[in-house]
Amino acid sequence: MRCLLPSLLLAALLAGPAAAQQVEAESFVLDNGMEFLLVPRYEEPNNIAAGWLAKVGSVNERPGITGISHFFEHMMFKGTTTIGTSDPQADRELMAQQQAVKTRLNELTWEDQYERWRRGEIDDPFDPANDTPEMKELRTQLNDLIAQHAEVIKSNEYDEIYARLGGSGINAFTSNDVTFFIATVPSNKFELWAWMESDRLNDSVFREFYAEREVVREERRLGIESRPMGLPQEQFEAMFWQSAPYSWPVLGWPSDLQSYTREQAEWYFDTYYRSNNLVGVVVGDFEPDEIKPIITEYFGRLKRGRQDPPPVVTLEMDQSAEKRMYAEGDFSPQTEVRYHTVPFNHADSFALQMMAEILNGRTGRLYKSLVEEKGIASQASAAAIQLGAPWKYAGSFSFNAQVKGEALPEELEAAWYEELERLQEESVPQRELQKVKNQVVADAYRRLERNFMLMIQLGYFEAMGRWEYINEAPGKLTAVNPEDIQRVAQKYFEPTNRAVAIYRREAGAEPVDPELAALPAEAQGMVKQMLTQMERLDLPQLEMALAQMQAQATQVPPEYKASFEYMVKKMKERVLALRAAEEK
Amino acid sequence: MRFVNTTFLSMLTLLASIMPGCATQIKEPAPSAPAAPIAAEVVAKIPARPEQIDFPPLTFEPPNATDYRHVLSNGVPVYLAPSHEFPLIDVSFTFKGGQYLDSPEMVGLAEATGSMMRRGGTTTMSAEDLDEELDFLAAQAQTFCRAQASGANFNSLSSNFDEGFALFMDMVRNPGFQEDRLQIYKDEVIEAMKERNDEPAPILSREWSMLIFGEDHFEARLATEAMIDAITVDDLHEMHDRIFHPGNLIVAVNGDFEINRMLARLEEAFAGWEAGPPAVDPPAPTATYRPGVYYIEKDIPQGRVAAGMRSISRDDPDYFPALVMNDILGGGGFTSRITQRVRTDEGLAYDARSVFTMPVYYPGFFRAGFQTKSSTVAFGLKIVFEEINRIRTEPVSDDELEVAKNSFIETFPRTFESKAGMLRVFVSDEMTGRDPDFWTNYRDNIRAVTKEQIMNVAQRRLSAGEMAILIVGKWADIVHGDPEGRAAMSMFFNGNSTELPLRDPLTLEPLK
Repeated sequence: MRCLLPSLLLAALLAGPAAAQQVEAESFVLDNGMEFLLVPRYEEPNNIAAGWLAKVGSVNERPGITGISHFFEHMMFKGTTTIGTSDPQADRELMAQQQAVKTRLNELTWEDQYERWRRGEIDDPFDPANDTPEMKELRTQLNDLIAQHAEVIKSNEYDEIYARLGGSGINAFTSNDVTFFIATVPSNKFELWAWMESDRLNDSVFREFYAEREVVREERRLGIESRPMGLPQEQFEAMFWQSAPYSWPVLGWPSDLQSYTREQAEWYFDTYYRSNNLVGVVVGDFEPDEIKPIITEYFGRLKRGRQDPPPVVTLEMDQSAEKRMYAEGDFSPQTEVRYHTVPFNHADSFALQMMAEILNGRTGRLYKSLVEEKGIASQASAAAIQLGAPWKYAGSFSFNAQVKGEALPEELEAAWYEELERLQEESVPQRELQKVKNQVVADAYRRLERNFMLMIQLGYFEAMGRWEYINEAPGKLTAVNPEDIQRVAQKYFEPTNRAVAIYRREAGAEPVDPELAALPAEAQGMVKQMLTQMERLDLPQLEMALAQMQAQATQVPPEYKASFEYMVKKMKERVLALRAAEEK
Repeated sequence: MRFVNTTFLSMLTLLASIMPGCATQIKEPAPSAPAAPIAAEVVAKIPARPEQIDFPPLTFEPPNATDYRHVLSNGVPVYLAPSHEFPLIDVSFTFKGGQYLDSPEMVGLAEATGSMMRRGGTTTMSAEDLDEELDFLAAQAQTFCRAQASGANFNSLSSNFDEGFALFMDMVRNPGFQEDRLQIYKDEVIEAMKERNDEPAPILSREWSMLIFGEDHFEARLATEAMIDAITVDDLHEMHDRIFHPGNLIVAVNGDFEINRMLARLEEAFAGWEAGPPAVDPPAPTATYRPGVYYIEKDIPQGRVAAGMRSISRDDPDYFPALVMNDILGGGGFTSRITQRVRTDEGLAYDARSVFTMPVYYPGFFRAGFQTKSSTVAFGLKIVFEEINRIRTEPVSDDELEVAKNSFIETFPRTFESKAGMLRVFVSDEMTGRDPDFWTNYRDNIRAVTKEQIMNVAQRRLSAGEMAILIVGKWADIVHGDPEGRAAMSMFFNGNSTELPLRDPLTLEPLK
């Protein structure tokens, strides 16, 4: 994402499409293959929400260039021959010179520095502190060229033109499957959008390539590395997907991020950003007959790619054994259980979505069971689709819950299996299913109310496969019957098809237990350490350890008595919790 | 742990690159030359630059609140905006009064009251039955108490509106605050409390408010576990009675209805609902902070930075110059100076910007912020202070002024874009007593802002020596600055700094 996109925006897409409501989008294809969807709407006057997308995302990448789709999205804001420079000639020459230096630097990094790193001579092949004399010299040259280039760059001119003329919300986001560029313009300025967007598609110039890479590096530090859950969640994704090209993060692996070249960016543009791989979507206050000639004129000038983008070939392997991950850190204890299911618009996807709806919400089964009755969770939910996550070529279903009080994440996992078993063995009562269907119908209208949201949905669905999904899905969701839900619950939720993540709060980062705090200061560290060790024991080991402790009770010196009793109490609690988890 | 995964994958990549016949390629196919751009003159009708497009005129006058305003027989103002595009009705109740009414001994009570009205059933209907009914009707209902105001929203299909709305009114007027649901709520709040020190963002935002408004002010204070534990059903009823009555209420409805029918429906629903005394205004903060550098230790690879000072309030004569000034300095996205220099030029941060808040009842704050790797925190700050100094001492350029003003003027219609958004403006303006001509004169007031006014407001409202700098991160890696020697923390406040301890998430007592 170029700017942080409100997560609401994607969340609103999730609930599952409209029933009776039909969106009458006018769809047409230009001679060069670019497709357009138009929806005139006059309830929000004076504005037009417009966007275009390229059918490309991290799924089209491979090791070595992971994250390039997202990086490329940033580069698309750097201007064109017309926008963004005071001297196109010097602009071009200085970029060519930078590229030559960077190519040599890359070669030295991948050959010499990687070699030194493999031998253990340096700790980081990318750290300038480890540069060889030749690399130091090249880096100085590169920085000089970048400084010279800055003199002829009119930085952020692209944004300035939009701001001056009334464009707003100029942004873009990249997911595993799609890259989407969005804007809102006053209704008299549709031609501005057409000018700006077709110009950068016709003739993008990738300036400020190296500084922007640092921006993306900071984006990664911000979104993943500085957040306690960031790296473990990234690892879980990488563990969940085996062969499908969904296992790397949209932001890319750091080594790749530091290695992209301008050549790769240009190759990417030529392959994925040509007219035959693009879709434009316009929703709002306009007359189709007035904007169609503008669209044809401006976007009609775009060139087809020399060849069609290569297909995504590799299918996900069937999982053959359960996968399981334990993470510790500054986060509340929680559990995720995820299953491989089906991609966008698969015949079973509708029953899976309805199954998730049955489980979700204040009157859903998970809240009633895990939060209210068992009192082991502070929140619990299921998801059959994750927007912005893999969907086009493969899908997943996940259960997520966070513990309450002293409950263990393993208890949440056990409680989930119980709910799953109910869905596999008993038919969902008609009224319960009807309630969920009523919500599908009402939510379908709610999701169409804003131009911007409608634009995003049409584009997103078209990128996945067909925009008509917005009209077709509600009927398919409301046609789901209890037998369908039971069937998919039996089909996709085998233990060998799941990946489990157990998150525990790192000892020490946990809020201080008052009983522990009351112990003598010198004993607290030892007790904490023993508690951490205890968590690693399984039930028989723990029972044995407890028995040994209790056998020694009389020999404990008086000054350690309180600490000893505290340990025994904690061990007993843990034994009870593990037993409870085992019974389920 | 943290690097195992990436290292492993980059090794695999390298392995693939030296294995003959391996499917994973490292080198790209030689790029074919990019297709040459088409010269603009070839396409006769496309102007050479976007500014040369002949745009049709767009005339827009802001809607007049009085055209939508009605008053019920009990004096409650109602704004109605029908629209029949979708079979939905959306009702929004806004009440004066909010978390500022909490006593210092029971912070969190108002928030609990707002949340529990929705979750605790009514005096005549159990929570379970009420939830089940509303869900079956596919209706959405929310109740909440925020810092400065409270509210209750209802959205349903117009076909079963009456049925759902009756349940909603019962919930707003006669909440049940069912005991077992209160316990679940408390447990949930306490679980969330335990996460207070997990992510850097909430740590920074909490300590920022405490620093700038004072720990006792309602914008800064937070509940402790003991306070939440102590809340009783009687407390909830008492807070509910203080806020949720017609004396504090303004109503807005949009969607699929007829005006007269809706007015009658509301009259009926409000019958016998007695108005209490209106809530007082939120109190202004009284504490002052000591300018300087403050930091909170957190083991993360990035420093999270905020730097700023108190600002002005909404009705200050400097409102418009301040609005434009901050837009140019750091509020206007990619066209603003701080974003341009910290992000675009130097690649130091993904998100770098400034805000200048001008709240209704008392002065807010100016705050510039960014997040960058530890070693460049000082360099980023240096740039921010250079820009603050520049806008105080040099007039902004003609271009900058024009871009900023045009942006406000051209996007003005978006304020009233949706019916729901328009009604929110009307309700907020009436509740806070905004000048009725504010929106009529808005664009003229923006146009009238001069370079001198901008420099003047910057001189009076921004001052490096009066700022608080707050950083969450790994101080040992931050303090010495970058290896290139461009900046170090010794550049600010003579190198003096104060460590703020993390707080125990449940008691808020300083840790260690």
